[in-house]
Amino acid sequence: MSGLFSALIFGLCFGFLLNKARLTKMDTIVNQFRFKDFTVLKYMLTTLIVAMPIIYLMQDLGVYTISNVPNTYVVGNLLGGVIFGVGMSIGGF
Amino acid sequence: MSWIIQQFKKESWNPYVAGALFGVVVALAPILTGNLMGSSGSFINLAGLIERVITPKLADNMFFKYIWKLGVNWQLILLVGVFFGAMASSMFSGTFRFTNSTRQWREIYGPQVWKRWVLAFFAGITVQYGASLAGGCTSGLAISGTMLLAPAGLIFTAGLFGSGILTTLIIYRRRY
Repeated sequence: MSGLFSALIFGLCFGFLLNKARLTKMDTIVNQFRFKDFTVLKYMLTTLIVAMPIIYLMQDLGVYTISNVPNTYVVGNLLGGVIFGVGMSIGGF
Repeated sequence: MSWIIQQFKKESWNPYVAGALFGVVVALAPILTGNLMGSSGSFINLAGLIERVITPKLADNMFFKYIWKLGVNWQLILLVGVFFGAMASSMFSGTFRFTNSTRQWREIYGPQVWKRWVLAFFAGITVQYGASLAGGCTSGLAISGTMLLAPAGLIFTAGLFGSGILTTLIIYRRRY
């Protein structure tokens, strides 16, 4: 049960930060594709820059071992991304 | 303390600050709980659970039997948290309201309300189909996947931005 409670906490943080970064607005998403508003890239890339060292530091310290890495199957990943992009542009999510 | 409340009441934060904080959150999720923060799988779960209640015969298929384990799992609760987290944030800043579309959207697609709902519905299907095919969405694959240096995340992000830019270019044409 504590596992599911942690999901709620992580979810609350996730939703809160998304809203504060204006990523819950459809215009922000579409304007990234128009190169008018770089919020999406600023947010995503900062997230990666901060998250990657934490993950790999924790692995090197032996606290955590990387598991359940998303599977790579080039055609599926790419085609999925292409289809996803169409919906993301039209729907704004 | 009052500083924190003041920050909570702001409508938006610097995306670098929000992104850095999210970086800590998204890295701690697999370290502390062993789960990646993804949200597209939750919709499969949600749809499957509803399907099992309404049409149990349809839900009794190969996919839910062997490939996908139905149930209230970590990712599903995460989605509930996302919903209420975003809601709390907008209520703190006083920007919470029900709207059908934005001014920019109406300039491009027209003023009809039904159009937004129909487009959002089919865009939702498209997004979920793409995410299921790729094995994740923007949070689960593009961020969490790339964070673990999975090639899948980078390939997905490339496809997403390529087609997103192209689609927007086609829709906006001269107003791009």
